[in-house]
Parts: sequence; C-alpha cells; structure tokens
Amino acid sequence: MNIQTTNRLTTAESALLDAYNAQIGDLPGDGAVLSVRDRLLDELKTGGLPTRRIESWHYTDLRALLRAVPAVQPAPSLSAVKPLVSGASVLTLRQGAADAATAPEGVTVRRYADSLVDGTAAEGLREASADDAIGRINGSFVRDGLVLEIADGAELAAPLEIQSLHGAGQVHTRFPVRFGAGSKATVIERHRGEGDEAALVSSISALTLGDGAEVTWIVLQEQGAADTHLGQIRVELGADAKLRLFVVNAGGKLVRQELRITVSGEGSELTLRGVNLLGGDTHTDVTLVLDHNVPHTNSTEIIRNVIFDRARGVFQGMIRVAQAAQKTDAKMACNTLLLSDDADFSVKPELEIFADDVLCGHGATVADIDRNHMYYMMTRGVPEKTARAMLVYAFVAQIVEELEEESLVEALEGIISAWLDRHA
Amino acid sequence: MPAVQETVEQVRQIDVDQYKYGFETEIEVDKAPKGLSEDIIRFISEKKQEPEWMLEWRLEAYRRWLTLEEPTWARVSYPKIDFNDIYYYAAPKSTAGPKSLDEVDPELLKVYEKLGIPLREQEILAGVEKSKIAVDAVFDSVSVVTTFKEELKKAGVIFMSISEAIREHPDLVKQYLGSVVPTTDNYYATLNSAVFTDGSFVYVPKGVRCPMELSTYFRINEKNTGQFERTLIIAAEGAFVSYLEGCTAPQRDENQLHAAVVELVALDDAEIKYSTVQNWYPGDKQGKGGIYNFVTKRGDCRGANSKISWTQVETGSAITWKYPSCILRGDNSRGEFYSIAVSNGHQQIDSGTKMIHLGKNTSSRIISKGISAGVSNNTYRGQVSMHRKAENARNFTNCDSLLIGDTCGAHTVPYIEVKNSTAKVEHEATTSKISEDQKFYAMQRGIPEEEAIALIVNGFVREVIQELPMEFAVEAQKLINISLEGSVG
Repeated sequence: MNIQTTNRLTTAESALLDAYNAQIGDLPGDGAVLSVRDRLLDELKTGGLPTRRIESWHYTDLRALLRAVPAVQPAPSLSAVKPLVSGASVLTLRQGAADAATAPEGVTVRRYADSLVDGTAAEGLREASADDAIGRINGSFVRDGLVLEIADGAELAAPLEIQSLHGAGQVHTRFPVRFGAGSKATVIERHRGEGDEAALVSSISALTLGDGAEVTWIVLQEQGAADTHLGQIRVELGADAKLRLFVVNAGGKLVRQELRITVSGEGSELTLRGVNLLGGDTHTDVTLVLDHNVPHTNSTEIIRNVIFDRARGVFQGMIRVAQAAQKTDAKMACNTLLLSDDADFSVKPELEIFADDVLCGHGATVADIDRNHMYYMMTRGVPEKTARAMLVYAFVAQIVEELEEESLVEALEGIISAWLDRHA
Repeated sequence: MPAVQETVEQVRQIDVDQYKYGFETEIEVDKAPKGLSEDIIRFISEKKQEPEWMLEWRLEAYRRWLTLEEPTWARVSYPKIDFNDIYYYAAPKSTAGPKSLDEVDPELLKVYEKLGIPLREQEILAGVEKSKIAVDAVFDSVSVVTTFKEELKKAGVIFMSISEAIREHPDLVKQYLGSVVPTTDNYYATLNSAVFTDGSFVYVPKGVRCPMELSTYFRINEKNTGQFERTLIIAAEGAFVSYLEGCTAPQRDENQLHAAVVELVALDDAEIKYSTVQNWYPGDKQGKGGIYNFVTKRGDCRGANSKISWTQVETGSAITWKYPSCILRGDNSRGEFYSIAVSNGHQQIDSGTKMIHLGKNTSSRIISKGISAGVSNNTYRGQVSMHRKAENARNFTNCDSLLIGDTCGAHTVPYIEVKNSTAKVEHEATTSKISEDQKFYAMQRGIPEEEAIALIVNGFVREVIQELPMEFAVEAQKLINISLEGSVG
C-alpha cells in the first residue's frame, strides 16, 4: 500500500510535455493566459496524470489507462454532419478550430481563440479543483472553442448545435456559455471522431445560467473507436434557473465525462439524465460532483448504463449539501444492465450532508435483464434475441423520452437503436 | 406507553457528558516501559510465555509496520499519534493466572460489578430468567478471568484468552491466526499483530451448537495505555456460535488508542453471529479526550453454506474507524451487517462494511443506520464487490442517516464493483431529519414531543436492534437514547 510514486514519466506524460514544448510560441494567449498555461503544465509535470490513489480517479487510473498520446495533426477534410434536429443552427469546429459562424438572433458568438489572445479567458482557464486533471490538460493545450452569450430574455426558436468534428491527432476545445436572465434555449454539444486512428480530445463547457433561465443542454459523445475523450461540464445555476442536462456516451475508447455543478441560486432546479452505451474493449467514466449551496433547490439525477463485451463502466456521483442549503431535495439513481461476464461496472454514489432539513437519497442497481421480463415477452411469442433487444432499448429509451421535444427524442432514439444494432 | 416513558426517563437522568462508565480504578499494575521497539515486543511475548514462532510473527509484523504510513483516507481528523508515548503493556499485578475468581483482586471484581458484568457463575445461575452468558474479561492488556470454561469444555467448545490459547492450542492458533487479517493488512492491523496483548479465542468443533452466548468485556483502565486486543473465532463444520463484545473506558482528557483485530472463520455450514456494543469513552462536550477506536474486523466464510453476521451498536469513542467485513468465499455463503452508529458531541465515525463475493450464489445484506447530532460527523463507507466467479451473487444494501440539528454531518460513501453479469446488486441510501409529519402524527395523538422523537428514533433503528441477543437489545436501546440526550427536542 505504500509504494513510492516515482517521478518517472509515462509515455503519455512525456508525449504531453513534448507536445507543449513543441507548441511554445504557437499556442494562443496573452501574458496572463500563457502564465496560467505554464503553471497548469508544470503541475501536470510534477503531479503526473492522476492514478487510483487520487480518490476521484479511483476507478479510472488515467496514468495507467492513457498509454499514448497522438501527435498534433492538421485537420483532415471533414464535412459537417446533419444536425440532430432539422432547423437547428449549427456551429462547427474542425480539428478543434471554429469555423466562421453566423449566430441566430439573441445569441452572440465569439471564437474562444480571440478571448485567449486578448486575455479575457485567463480567469476561466484555471483548474476547478486540485484533482482537476482535465482542467490542467485542457488549460495547457486549448486553442479554440466558442464563447456564447444568450441575451437576457432571449428565447431561441430552434436548438443550437455545436459540432466538434475531428480526425486523428489532438483536439482541445472550450465553450464558455452565458445564459442571460430569463432566457430559454436548447443546445446540443456534439463530439464526433472520424476514422480509426486515435485522437486525444479534451473539452470543457462552462455554463452559467442567469436567474430564471431555462436551458436544455445535451452532450452527445460519438467518438471513434480508438479515441480518448476527456470532457467536462462546469455549471453554475442562478436563482430559479432550470437546467436539463442530458449526457449520452456512445463512443470512444477511453472516456471520462466530469460534471461539476454548483447550485448557487435559490429555487433552482437541476435535472440530469445520462445514457451510457458501452461495448467493445472500452472504459467509460461519468463523474458528477453536485454542490447544493443555497436553500430551496431541487435536483434529480438518473443514469442508465448498458454494458456489453469487455467494456468497463464507472459512475461516481457525489452530492454535497452545505449547511446553509436547507430544504434541499436531491435524488440520484444509477441503474446498470451488465450484459456480459467480461464486462464490469463500478459505482460510487456519495452523499455528503451538512444540513439537517433535507431529503437526499440515492439508489444504485446492477443486474442482468430480469428473467421475468424475458419470460413475459417470450410467452407472447417474441423470440429471445428480439425480446432482449427490446428490453435493453426500453431501459434507456425511457430516459430519453423525458425530453419531450419529439424531434429530439426521435433523433436520440435513432442514435441509440443504431448503436444497439451494432453491439447487441 | 411504559417503554417510551422509561426511555425518556433514562434520557433525563443522564446528561450527555456524564459518561456512566467513566470511573477510574486504583489497581497496582505491571507495565512495560513506554514506547515501541523490538525489545518491547520481546517483553510482551516473554510476559505471555509465548513460543518462539509467535515472537517471530510479531517481530515480522513490527518490521513491516515501520515501513507503513498512517492511512488518511477516512473522513476523520485528529492530531498525529505519538506511538512512542504509549504503554503497550499494562496488567493488573495480581492476575498472574488466577485459577478461580477467589484469587482475583477484589478491586478488579468491584470494577466489573460496577460495570454490571456478571463474573460469578453462581450469580448468573441464581437469576432464574436470565440465560447463561460466558464472559472473558479483558482488563487493559490481559484477560483477568473467563467464566463457564468447564461447562463449555464439556460441549467441546474452547473459550479462553488468546494468550492461553497460544500456549495450550498452538496448532489451532498457528493455523488460523492471521489467515483472515494478514499481518500486512493495514497500518493498525499490522501494529496490532506486533503488540497485541490479549483477547479471546473461541473454537467450536464440528457439529456443535455453542450452548450459551459467549462474550468478552474490554476495559481500558490505565492511563496512557493502548489496548491492542486480538480475537479469533473459529466455527468448524456445522457449528454455531453467538458472541458479544462490550467495551468501556474511564473518562480522561487525553486520547487513548484502541487498535483491535478480530478474525472470524466459518467452515462448511457453520454460522457465527458477532455482536458489538461499543461504548468507549467518547470525550467531553468540548471534544476533549476519548478513545480512538481503529479496528479491523473481518470474517471469512471459508466453507460452503456458511454464514457470518455482524451486528454493531456504536455509541462511544471519540473517533471510530471500523469496517467489519465478510469474505464470501464458500458457495452459497451469506454475510450480514447490521449497524447503528450514533454520533454526538465532537465524535467522528467512519464506519461501514465490505462484502467481498467470491463464491457462487453468495448473498449479503447490509442495513446501516446512522444518527448524527451535536457537531459530530458520521460517515458510512462500504464496499460491495462481486468478483468474476460470483455467479448469481446477491446484495442488498440500505443505509439511512438521520440528522438531528444543523451543525452535524452525515455522509455516505458506498463503493459497488460488479464483474459478473448474473450478480444482482441493489443499494439505497437516504438522509433526512425526523419529518414534521411523523412528529405531528405522534403528537396529535397526545404523545409529548420528546417522547415522539424517542419513539421515531427507536423505530428508525429497530431493524438493527432486532438482530441483537435479547439482553443486549434492551441495553443498546438505552445506550442510544443516552447518547442522544441533549440533542433531541
């Protein structure tokens, strides 16, 4: 238990340092930004990538799992994909660089690269906490992304879809988004890798919801089979704000999705739904840290996992309720269908409660498909394979249906059935 | 409502930091010099007249311990312990192997009388309705007396202090000691392996149902001593034993260390029921003093169809760091964990269980009830692990926390790891306060507020209390009410 951690760098760690050194002078940023970058990289160098000895990385030993880091490569030709919902305004990034874009009414769009150059990005570039390895990697290497401002009271008629498309190489993006007071919007954040060669992707979205804003934010991760995806969503909820956060993982070889949510406005409400489709020889980790800091807030979280083949899944969900946050109502559930004996799933739902007048609970289940359900279907003449497929589909589709917007539900269900057809 | 009334009376009588068992007894003791070294270990081993292999075992553990670092992952905080400022051996002088109770120092007997521990066999026999309980009384570093030895012997049950067992049954001890908690297991278990001074040894042979409840009563009396006890219980094929431990310590301003190791081995079709009522001195209202209770308890369901059940009522100790676990190795074996952890004042509890499912059709059940009051912190930390070969394994976990007041904390940290698709794991946890609705319901039926709260708390922990042997269930219930006094209403 007391093995000395050596300072010897792993292949991936040295590759990251080399990549940084190779890009010195080329990474955008003013003095303030560059000094934050230097510090983050320095911490990465001295601390190394996180291991299982860091509690929040207990089940995802990044140091061991991230074997190699692909070299930075120029963008291959990438053509935009059809948006999830027709009529959506699409903002495209190719290999981590934003295309010139026209914003729909009520939205201001700016390239993140510009905010690095003028230094306005410096403040937000810092890591979120001591164990924020994704923040360090992304903060060191990020070149571009989008800064979005949704005006006070603006109601977007159609969803906004951010498409981050890439081939092999490295992609580091950031999306600071500010939803004005009383605004209403649906945003889809889509990550998509092309080709069979590996890419290392890090992406941080920092959402700030003004008072009374109502937002649906959907993360759709469809990375390539060899890709590493290190995603992070930081959220700050204002008073009476409502956020529906949907995270769908349907790709990637090594995935970590961190959700760091701070509920700091009274009367606000968070609805988190997650669907994780895991197959092949992959590792997917969804880690939630939810802080209820003020009284009278609600949150519900439901995560559904379907695991095939030799895949390994992780869900860590920590709900913290501060002493001031009386009348918090927080409920979390994590349900997993473990469909192969070579697969495994680890779950750690944590509660850390300092206020007494609260209702907090969590539930977690891991099991195969219920035999009674199978029996019910089969006695009605449904063949075993079809019955299984239907039950697995229903297990995750149930979550998606909560979205209500029909076109969105249909699109996501389409993606889920296509994935299940490939893996079941 | 006489029962409720009684509870409330009990609560009224005793103030929160009027720890009932806080008295100190002047008894002449034989002590090893302060500090820890190979010489001290040799001293302990020699005092116990241990064979050479035992000394070697201790020294090996000690050398290993020197290379280890203190664990810091638990949600507890305390100033660094100076391991060289502790007496590792303290024994009442007069107890050099008394043959009967008459030879035991009367001062010592008085201590147990005061604690309400029956040491005189006839006294217990005289009580018509009371069932028989065999007691091993451990005072600081040594076992002073073990009752009902003869009667147990007739049934084939070996019940004695571990020091005696090392001398009289070396083969059994050698075979099982350290087989569940290896000397290398963790910081405190390794320290315990090096310096353990006494504890109980139980061997229930094949097919025997132990004719009475066995119990060990631990008492720390001497200042600046650490208590390092070691308990080893073996239930051979088809055997059954129910065992209970209780503990108290005097009220002092300094913190005292208690680092025990308990190992249980259940062979085919055997069953061990282990209950703890832990009531070490918790410190005063300001958080001064109290016992550091850093304990490693583990049961090994080694045989098929075996069963181990842990029941604990934790109300004492300044800091508790304790995870009674089950290794479910045998096919169809079963592990159970029932816990009530009550923290008040400045107490810190980080406790839970581990259920490691290795065999087919193994099942486990975890019921944990945490109650926090005052400025205490109460953490449930548990692990359920279904290994690749654990086909059709089942687990059900329920941990509920109750907060009384807004200056305390309740935390739940479960780890669930599943590697077999036929395994089924269910986990649920809730945290809340006593709901106004529940209170209202009781009060509008004429029950005063304080009684209503006592009633609800009793209901909250009932599931666990039911698992305790009858005599102790009553005691445990009283204890809970006492330790919550000053926080309700």
